[in-house]
Amino acid sequence: MSFGNVVRAIFVKDLVTEFRAKKVLAAMIMLGVLIAWIFRIATEASILDGSVTAAAVLLVGILFSAVLASERGFAVEQENDCISALLLGSADAGDIYIGKLLVNITLLCIFEIVSVPAVFVLFNAGVGRGWLQLIIVLLLINIGVSSVGTLLGCAVQGTRAGNSLLSILLLAILCPMMIPAIFALLLLFGAIGDNVLGIGVLALAGDFNTAIGFLAAFDAIFVTVCWLLFGFVAGEAA
Amino acid sequence: MLRSESTGPEAAAKSGKSLLRRVAKDMGEQLQEAKKQTAAIELAGVCKSFGSRVVLEGISLSVARGEGLCVCGANAAGKTTLLRIIAGLLQPGSGAVQICGFDMRTQAREIKPMLGAILHKSMVYPQLTVVENLRFFSKLYGVRDSKGRIEELLEQAGLGAYRDDRAGVLSRGMTQRLAIARAMEHNPSVLLADEPFAGLDAKASKHLVSLLRSFKDKGGAILVTTHNVDFALRCCESVAVLEDHKLIFNARVSQIDTAEFARDYLSYARATV
Repeated sequence: MSFGNVVRAIFVKDLVTEFRAKKVLAAMIMLGVLIAWIFRIATEASILDGSVTAAAVLLVGILFSAVLASERGFAVEQENDCISALLLGSADAGDIYIGKLLVNITLLCIFEIVSVPAVFVLFNAGVGRGWLQLIIVLLLINIGVSSVGTLLGCAVQGTRAGNSLLSILLLAILCPMMIPAIFALLLLFGAIGDNVLGIGVLALAGDFNTAIGFLAAFDAIFVTVCWLLFGFVAGEAA
Repeated sequence: MLRSESTGPEAAAKSGKSLLRRVAKDMGEQLQEAKKQTAAIELAGVCKSFGSRVVLEGISLSVARGEGLCVCGANAAGKTTLLRIIAGLLQPGSGAVQICGFDMRTQAREIKPMLGAILHKSMVYPQLTVVENLRFFSKLYGVRDSKGRIEELLEQAGLGAYRDDRAGVLSRGMTQRLAIARAMEHNPSVLLADEPFAGLDAKASKHLVSLLRSFKDKGGAILVTTHNVDFALRCCESVAVLEDHKLIFNARVSQIDTAEFARDYLSYARATV
């Protein structure tokens, strides 16, 4: 059985299930827009630059939406013990992981299609000619967040702590990745200069290309490790 | 002359090769024959604990090809755990599980295509239609000619009229039929069924018995765990009873009075509740 067939089957099945059930995508978009709206009102009277807040709000929105998407990914499988059916098949556990990962990335991309323009409008922010860079940064963030989220979403199924455990673990593991992510977004939104010098946390990222390099490295590590671990985690979840 | 001298060793090498090929072929055939004779399911001293709680203790049993074994037992006797171990979803603490001669610990990849399972829940997606569910699992299980196979299964399971209905709106009986169709989609050699008669009325149970019988007639082996001994004995050649995590009874159905066994088991089950 080919790798592509299994990944495609899981990808199509999960998207069809989600669009029919309308369980999480609407909630993700509502959450993102709500976060942006609340921050907009809260920072109206402050001296904060809109572009600084916009970058932070966008990243917070992506993180919380990723928690929702990750939780949904395996809640669907747990509903009728479908996770056992997946594992009983001759498909490799790694293929199942990649299929689920692509679904989560797609859901986050759809979320961003709505939330990025909303953030731009609410905070009067923009990226000028940096659209392509913005897409690359968002895609790298989506891959990193979804890679860990997909694994943890499977791991916490059936546990009593469930969702709260997922958010705590996901956000804690993603902390180091957030430094280059917020740096790249601040730079694209024109909130900071090309280089941040000194001893602050942002100075760790250096410049835009270094931040992209860090994000790509985090993605590669997260995806590889999670792909390798998925078989064990899914076996325990079944 | 030179030519005949040079062909001598070549001819010998050729005949040697063909001899080796013949021997290898014979050995392959013998191996295949031996595999045919090996039991479809073979358990030897299987134990399982969850922490300090012992769930299974030294379970040994065997199911031949084309036969069925019905495992009965009170709630929490360890039936589902036993089934999940055979399905490869749980690892035994100790002991060995073999499916069609393959060892579960080292040859799980070879075993997976041979197994079909109907577990306690239906293992189908409620948001997908009957056909979409079967199509998805056919891709997952690598079924060739999936279109033809799906049509065949829809007909066998009597699900033709429900093909475009979502699985979530099907009745318990129809959902169970879909679960069976899913489990049999890749033509497994062994079918594991956990409480397959639960929630089914007499008509649906009879239909299930006929499906299980036809699976066995094609050479498949089944292992059924159930409380509904009446129906299970109609499609099984052996019966076993699990009590306190141990196998306390294992006999051929032909050697026992099934009516008496069913009556005794029922009174035993009532007493253990």
